[in-house]
Amino acid sequence: MAYAATRGGEEAIAQAERLYRDDLGPLTAGRIAEVRRALPYLVDRVMGEASLYEPDLAALALAQTGGELYEAVLLLRAYRTTQPRLWTAEPVTHRDILTVRRISAAFKDIPGGQILGPTLDYSHRLLKVGVLAGETDVPEPVTPGRTSAPATQPALADWQREQGLVAPERAAKVPLDDIPDVTRDGLLFPPPRAHRLQTLARGDTGGMLALGYANQRGYGPVHPAVNDLRLGEAEVRLRHPRGTVFSAGRVRVSETEMVSKDPRADTLKLGFCATFGWNEVKTIAGATLDLSMEEQSAFAAADEEFVLYHTEPTEASGFCIHFKMPHYVTFQSSLDALRGANADRDRRAARAKARPKADRMSGAEIEEALS
Amino acid sequence: MSLSTLTRPWRPFNYGFLDESAKREIRRRTLKAIAVPGYQVPYASREVPMARGWGTGGLQVTLTLLKPSAVVKVIDQGADDSVNAASIRKFLRRVGGAGETLDTTEATLIQSRHRIPEETLRADQILVLQVPDPEPLRSVEPDISEARYRHADADYGLLWLKLYEQIVRSGRIMQGASYPSLVNGRHVMSPSPIPRWDVPKLHQAENLTILSAGREKRIYAVPPHTDVVPLVFDDIAYRVEDHAGIPCGRSGVTGYFLNELPQAGGASLHEMSDSHFATKHIQKREGAPVTLGDTYYRNGSMAR
Repeated sequence: MAYAATRGGEEAIAQAERLYRDDLGPLTAGRIAEVRRALPYLVDRVMGEASLYEPDLAALALAQTGGELYEAVLLLRAYRTTQPRLWTAEPVTHRDILTVRRISAAFKDIPGGQILGPTLDYSHRLLKVGVLAGETDVPEPVTPGRTSAPATQPALADWQREQGLVAPERAAKVPLDDIPDVTRDGLLFPPPRAHRLQTLARGDTGGMLALGYANQRGYGPVHPAVNDLRLGEAEVRLRHPRGTVFSAGRVRVSETEMVSKDPRADTLKLGFCATFGWNEVKTIAGATLDLSMEEQSAFAAADEEFVLYHTEPTEASGFCIHFKMPHYVTFQSSLDALRGANADRDRRAARAKARPKADRMSGAEIEEALS
Repeated sequence: MSLSTLTRPWRPFNYGFLDESAKREIRRRTLKAIAVPGYQVPYASREVPMARGWGTGGLQVTLTLLKPSAVVKVIDQGADDSVNAASIRKFLRRVGGAGETLDTTEATLIQSRHRIPEETLRADQILVLQVPDPEPLRSVEPDISEARYRHADADYGLLWLKLYEQIVRSGRIMQGASYPSLVNGRHVMSPSPIPRWDVPKLHQAENLTILSAGREKRIYAVPPHTDVVPLVFDDIAYRVEDHAGIPCGRSGVTGYFLNELPQAGGASLHEMSDSHFATKHIQKREGAPVTLGDTYYRNGSMAR
């Protein structure tokens, strides 16, 4: 049978999947615990793109797919979507986040201070090849500071608002149960702000980086700087039916506010992006995109519809790999039109050759050519 | 009384995989799509355990319509044994436990990628077409918001212009599959990338056809007995693929849509795209008790 590669049915599929799983070996609770312990930033990235905060499930998804990121995100999303939505947590503001890292590039020092926290930003990226030769690389102990940093930090934007540099906050008062949920509604344009920020929060890190970077390089209307970037842990506070607010635990979060001069007024504008897990590059790119999408611009990378549709990891990766599916019916249909048009052209050429040459076609000839 | 007497035992997944609130949303959107034929109804489109672009829109509709008494047929590009069709069938088996068939005449629910079967569908059958791109205006208006305005205004001028330009450039309309078609005299839809051969099968059909795009989050429908008219100019006829006179290399039958199989040396073999219909012809010839259904095409042209 021709095109044998795509035929063969269920037995072939089963064996193909076995080949993949055979490479990975047995899946054990120990392996999942090790993925979770050793690769927290990867676990965070997958939880963010899946918009499901559960490190054990994320580590399981990574182990089960051998680290194929888009497959892991799809596994988690397909699990998440069937789970009931029982509750909406109370909102978390900048001021509530237990902050372990908080920096601003807009000012040398800021109310609350610059807290570097855990980062590789200033390290020399030298591969520790000695480990391969049997050495154990034990991290040097952290020296505690003389005073501990405050657990929470004020918002820089509050200070900027007092200075009249940033327009007053216009947070809409929406009842918790009425917050639009992009995982339960279709995304329509122009979308509510909640849909935009949710789409960015679960966006593809790589895709957002590419488009955010395009904006930062000049293919966009804004020239932003980091106003307020944080890594921390947010309390998930739920309201008991009897009215008591209680904490159900904490989640790791990243958030970035980017700042740019408003091109139409002498004020500053802020863009925002937050996501589950610690993923700075995603929130910096996302906040840049949030800023850019507010402006009228000819750049695709600043167009809301373009950005939000094309940074959706599950949809983009799924469509890209779908081209591996057979397309022969579709192709056959185009082939028929192509051959028909070529045959018609050859026939017309043969007829024209048989006729005495004229500079221009007569009306009747055009009619005939079109028929 | 305890909680366990009030709730069902825990199961990792619901019947038909999707939770009941997701199914309810899809049912409501589908009803709206049936009420406004050809209009693309937005829906949330949940993730399913299959990659986007691999029939997740069709699958969500099928999962919603699934019941233990259903008899399901899944086709990919005409073939039941294509790997993705087999994979979808296997998934439906795992989560639904409905009956399965390869025979179009026995199915109550048919999920298909890019083909309508050759045997005429009946009023008791539902066809679910997988849709990669629901927007017929995409090639002339990539901006979804703009395209929605054009649909609201029934402004399809750009599409007519595109078809006209094809005639001027190539001497004929070059649209292959996904031929834009006017539904119920109001909305132009993309019939999903079915070949031009299949579009007339939608016109005044007995069956309900639901088209669902998972990635693009749109459901639309062609209810039974609804006009579906491909966009053509009065003086230039609609042309289906030129397959009417070529026999199928497997079954020897002539008059149906074909796949072309390139051979070494530049020649081509042809075989019927509706693979199980060809199989039935072969079985019948060998004396097996199979029933061939009525077909849309007779002797290579539409029977209506």
